[in-house]
Amino acid sequence: MCTGRVDPAMVAGAFKKGLDGLMVVGCYFGDCHYITGNVQAKAKMDITRRLLKHVGLNQDRLAFRQCSSGEAAVFVNLVSEFDQRIREIGPIGGGGDPVEAPDIFRKMETAEAVLAGEKIRWVIGKRTPFLESGNMYGEVFTQHEFNRAIDMIIVEETEVQEILRELREGARSVKGLAQALTIPSERVFKYITALKRKGMIKLDKVSDRTPYFQIIPQEG
Amino acid sequence: MIYEKEKRYIVPFDDVPSPRAEMPEISVDERRGNFDEVETGFPESVAVTEAKRCLSCRRCLGCALCWAECGVEAIDFDMPDEVLELEFDDVIITRGQDNAFSAIDPAWGYGTYADVITDLQFERMLSPTGPTDGRVVSPLDGEIPARLAVIQTEPEGDENHLLSSVVLGVNESILALDRTEGLKITLISPLSPDFKERFLADAEKIAGLSMVEGKAGSVQRSGEGDPLTVTYSHEGADHTETFDLVVLLTKPVLSSETQALSKKLDKPVQ
Amino acid sequence: MADNRVLIVGGGPEGVKAARQKSEEGAQVTLVEKFPSLGAERIPRDRLIRSDEGFINPDLDKVRNDSNIHILPYSDIQKVHSGEGAYFARIIQHGLRVDNTKCNDCKACIKVCPVNMLDDFNEGLGFRTAVDFYNPVTAEYNIYKEDMPVCQRSCPLNLDIRSYVGLIADGRYLDSLKTIRDRLPLPGSIGRVCPHPCETACNRQYLDEPISICFLKRFVADVELNEGIEPVYETPEKTHPEKVAIVGAGPAGLTCAYHLARMGYKEIQIFEALPVPGGYLWVGIPEYRLPKKLLQREVDLICNMGVEIQYETRIGEDISFEDLRKDHDAVFIGAGCHKGLKLRVPGEEEYEGQGIIDCVTFLREQALNPTEGKGKLIVIGGGNAAIDSARVGWRMGFDEVYILYRRTKKEMPANPWEIDAAEHEGVILQYLAAPVEILGKDGRATGMKCIKMELGEPDASGRRRPVPIEGSEYVIDAETIVPAISQGTNLEFLPQDHEFSLSRWNTFEIDEDTCQTNIPGVFAGGDVVTGPDIAIRAVAAGRNAAMGIDEYLRSK
Ligand SMILES: Cc1cc2nc3c(=O)[nH]c(=O)nc-3n(C[C@H](O)[C@H](O)[C@H](O)COP(=O)(O)OP(=O)(O)OC[C@H]3O[C@@H](n4cnc5c(N)ncnc54)[C@H](O)[C@@H]3O)c2cc1C
Ligand code: SF4
Repeated sequence: MCTGRVDPAMVAGAFKKGLDGLMVVGCYFGDCHYITGNVQAKAKMDITRRLLKHVGLNQDRLAFRQCSSGEAAVFVNLVSEFDQRIREIGPIGGGGDPVEAPDIFRKMETAEAVLAGEKIRWVIGKRTPFLESGNMYGEVFTQHEFNRAIDMIIVEETEVQEILRELREGARSVKGLAQALTIPSERVFKYITALKRKGMIKLDKVSDRTPYFQIIPQEG
Repeated sequence: MIYEKEKRYIVPFDDVPSPRAEMPEISVDERRGNFDEVETGFPESVAVTEAKRCLSCRRCLGCALCWAECGVEAIDFDMPDEVLELEFDDVIITRGQDNAFSAIDPAWGYGTYADVITDLQFERMLSPTGPTDGRVVSPLDGEIPARLAVIQTEPEGDENHLLSSVVLGVNESILALDRTEGLKITLISPLSPDFKERFLADAEKIAGLSMVEGKAGSVQRSGEGDPLTVTYSHEGADHTETFDLVVLLTKPVLSSETQALSKKLDKPVQ
Repeated sequence: MADNRVLIVGGGPEGVKAARQKSEEGAQVTLVEKFPSLGAERIPRDRLIRSDEGFINPDLDKVRNDSNIHILPYSDIQKVHSGEGAYFARIIQHGLRVDNTKCNDCKACIKVCPVNMLDDFNEGLGFRTAVDFYNPVTAEYNIYKEDMPVCQRSCPLNLDIRSYVGLIADGRYLDSLKTIRDRLPLPGSIGRVCPHPCETACNRQYLDEPISICFLKRFVADVELNEGIEPVYETPEKTHPEKVAIVGAGPAGLTCAYHLARMGYKEIQIFEALPVPGGYLWVGIPEYRLPKKLLQREVDLICNMGVEIQYETRIGEDISFEDLRKDHDAVFIGAGCHKGLKLRVPGEEEYEGQGIIDCVTFLREQALNPTEGKGKLIVIGGGNAAIDSARVGWRMGFDEVYILYRRTKKEMPANPWEIDAAEHEGVILQYLAAPVEILGKDGRATGMKCIKMELGEPDASGRRRPVPIEGSEYVIDAETIVPAISQGTNLEFLPQDHEFSLSRWNTFEIDEDTCQTNIPGVFAGGDVVTGPDIAIRAVAAGRNAAMGIDEYLRSK
């Protein structure tokens, strides 16, 4: 399989299941059978790594390396190096990551949801036109500008996906969500009003002085 | 677009805060008696780190995801700006909707505490089409407040403003009380003689609203999770009271563009 | 009736009300509002309400349905001027980018839009996305696209900062430099001296501190220099034969020449009174802030495009202004402000050149023929020119260097970092003092009588006005006194009977778009139009003028 086909959501899913390290090995740039598959793969893995780091995973757990099918020795070397690094960090959530188990698995689930989401997938797909020919307005992005756009989605979508996951389990209040997710409550308030504006949640009930919100199931 | 310009929302990126690069210089001793360049320039690594701090400010990304999602093809990125050259016999300049307000004193906690809001924000909150469907809630935690303070931030100055802002404060209170069970509102303002004569008697009849003729001093929060503490003077004594939500009566000002236009055409702003 | 076409600026409650009134009086009304929709229903502010009548605006619907009222929402007034009893306005109406006749308010777009921003319609209480409805009642949508970020907007030249800083972050320094040079031919010089209005506006300051935009520009210019790369500025193959004369090789003139050359003009001549290029970049801003070698190189690169600079040629003396016009198809005046203004105190005229030397001359002499200083130097003024004079004096070897300013540090117009640098180097700042008389002996200045000041009421500029404290006069000795009050234009090169319209500050009045003066074919820009200003604004004027000249010549 071409490394360009490795789905970022799958990567997060694997860590969620307890994987300690993942190395994606692609061909050298210029050698790709599908022309730019490996370039795409590297870009996707870079973004995935940014997201996983943001939610609390040691970023060394996800690596992208290159070698050709004829280079057995190089391959062995890459693998043993990576293996050694993972051994140094230890098992996932066991102290080698900013967030520890079992919280890290919840974070990985969030990351999976973000990476499976339309926003980030679409913008990742726009990477080549953004960097080369420009967006809908003809503005060409620098890599840095593109990273900022991606980081914007990473920061906000992680919080939104965590909120939506909680809401899928039942009605929640702003205060309750903030406490459960350790997101500042004023940010939760803004997200909740935004989700309501979009028709994705609605008021469930007001109990005492606390409004609760419930999710509106979306079609498709 | 006042919030875009002045209180713009910026995503809390992971690299915030990080300090700005400092320009290296030659020492003062090395400068006397010669004209050597003082600032020596950023080394490469410093320049790159500094450049990476840039937020790449941009709103619409031009990614066309909305266009892809829209079933009726209503999105049109190429819709042009239109330039009109027009001739008029007269011009009337008004303040418009750019609700710029005179810089709010940090003592009121606006911008620091999410549960301190302006009268204009409160107006939107009370609107049935507003962000909370007309419900009074605290933007800090989404809870419905039990104690609300409406306070005058610019008591000095023109009588007209003092009158209209307190009338707005009372009207907002009427709507808020109607919609919120068990709410108590305290309105603190040096009431103008005009207000007292025309409206005070009616305002004092409103159940749940207490009109305090006085001057508010500051809004503070002693610790996280605590309610807001408002200090004010009333009948010669200082008071402190706690509230769940504070609404500031603000004084609108003219945007600099409006001012410039008025100056250029030598026309007053109506 | 006379007033039958009325422009109303602002679609708030007052504008809506005025529109209704004027329409009832029989006028044709145009109502311009910046926001995409007219105001929301509001809570009354003139009477107490009942709880069931909160949000009203009876005028709003009437105005929306009035055929005599033309509403222009989402519009900016770009330019207005009045004349002959009428007003002319150029109004830009921004495209909504959503066709609201097709939109069925299904909200699919706002569910996926990745961009959150504070919703202005709701006073920033919640988010909207970049594509969203701007008014919940009318359910009309727009896409919020800024034409440029604040940094770029606040740059007089509108440099594409976001791109060139991004390219530095990507390690693509030469591409970054190319982006800058698309508009600015003097990146190394401006990157050293610009007071950077962009940084004052930068959004990052609300999180920690603004981006160091100016020095990053310098950085990429230095990379090219340090690597010994000699770039060649391209000129198009298709050329234009018209001859253009430029008066003054300051940043305005140089930039004008650069852009004309890039458009294909082959016959561009710059006439410069001094033996050096750069205007105040050479003879004002001192070497320790802007090394002349570097400036010379940036000028050489412009000259390599075929631009010719005739040095030591003063228009009005060596060539008359009339001849210049006759020999050229268009003229650009970028003569700057090279007259140091006088203190207007007794003794100043008497000892001029004998211990009294205005800052323009002082700095120019030092830049062209450096000498050493000794004794005590007093500089009078609070602007950048005063600070530069003092720091130059300190380097020349004056034993003691003072700056005398009539207000306090807070009111000083000089850049705060420059003031700090001067203090750091040992320049002594004396605030709240003003000169009264220059004292002298045997034809030479020996000192100055000063008076102490205090701050009174704020004046038109908002700064508190200094007032003398009676009886507080004192005398200070000095070998050299440099007044650095301000600079004015020197328009002696124009013929006596010229017909240019000038402002009361003796600066040219021009058309903002094209930089053309009231005389067709003659353009002006930079300090000669604005009065003493900053270099990047002169650069921007030079670029505008180049485009204005091109438009003029191509339509001839
Ligand atoms: C001491 C000092 C420090 C400054 N520091 C800064 C700073 O740090 N940052 C900043 O941005 N700006 C600074 N400025 C301002 C900045 O230098 C000017 O705004 C800018 O140079 C103006 O550009 P210009 O092209 O309009 O005019 P100038 O730079 O003044 O150039 C005009 C040119 O025209 C020539 N000229 C005039 N009359 C004739 C004639 N009749 N015939 C032929 N040639 C003529 C002059 O000799 C001169 O070379 C400073 C100014 C001074 C005086
Ligand atoms: S962070 Fe500053 S420099 Fe970067 S785009 Fe925003 S305003 Fe411009």
